[in-house]
Amino acid sequence: MTAVFAALADPTRRRIVERLTRHGETPVTALAEPFHVSLPAISRHLRVLERARLIQRKRDGRVHRIRARRDGLQDAQKWMAQCAAIWDSNFDALDELLKTQQRKEKRR
Amino acid sequence: MKSEVKIEGNRLQVTRVFDAPRHLVFGAWKDPVLLRQWWGCKDTTKVECEMDFRVGGSLSYKMNITGAGEFSYTGQYDEIVEPEKIACHWGFGAATMRVSVEFIEQGGRTKLILTQEGFPDQSMCQFVSQGTDEAFDKLDRLLVCQEA
Repeated sequence: MTAVFAALADPTRRRIVERLTRHGETPVTALAEPFHVSLPAISRHLRVLERARLIQRKRDGRVHRIRARRDGLQDAQKWMAQCAAIWDSNFDALDELLKTQQRKEKRR
Repeated sequence: MKSEVKIEGNRLQVTRVFDAPRHLVFGAWKDPVLLRQWWGCKDTTKVECEMDFRVGGSLSYKMNITGAGEFSYTGQYDEIVEPEKIACHWGFGAATMRVSVEFIEQGGRTKLILTQEGFPDQSMCQFVSQGTDEAFDKLDRLLVCQEA
């Protein structure tokens, strides 16, 4: 999972994944266009994403088609959701504390 | 789940509205005596924290989680704008978590927006998955909320 987060730490790679999730399978050349980066640079990003199992490459002759891997993101999202649950639980306790403080302030 | 949760790539945003004025909500993050009272999950029995609440100041937490043992992490405050914003980061094993908290006034109530950017390693994942029942219960509820 460390590889997943390292891969997603880069904003360009994050946008690549978002784009693939929205538009489905896309040829590498079309993928490079909106990001204003060279084809070799996109290839490097794609290799990182591939290693993190966030994308899948299909070779169709000379055309490489890329698609997002749903399962790759699942573990990371589960982890994030657990963090969210912990914050929510902390905030429940904070809510209680604030209520107590306000009751005390009113009594004064 | 009373908080609103948004997950985008490696970025987590948790938003919650507290029925209390902003100075009180901010104060609960500033004062270690208060922070100790709400920090940590339900199974946390002992929270110790030391904090030097100023930009560049250090913060350290130590807590005991029933059935999981003792955990500690240390970090630093990167930005403090009282009573609007706190940004800090902390290390946990080889991982670094960056957290920023914004406090927005809403007619006597306070909207808190917490943004966490995390790069977990194995130890961090283990830590978060401790006390699993509670976390998974909440996760289930969270997912149901998101679907609805």
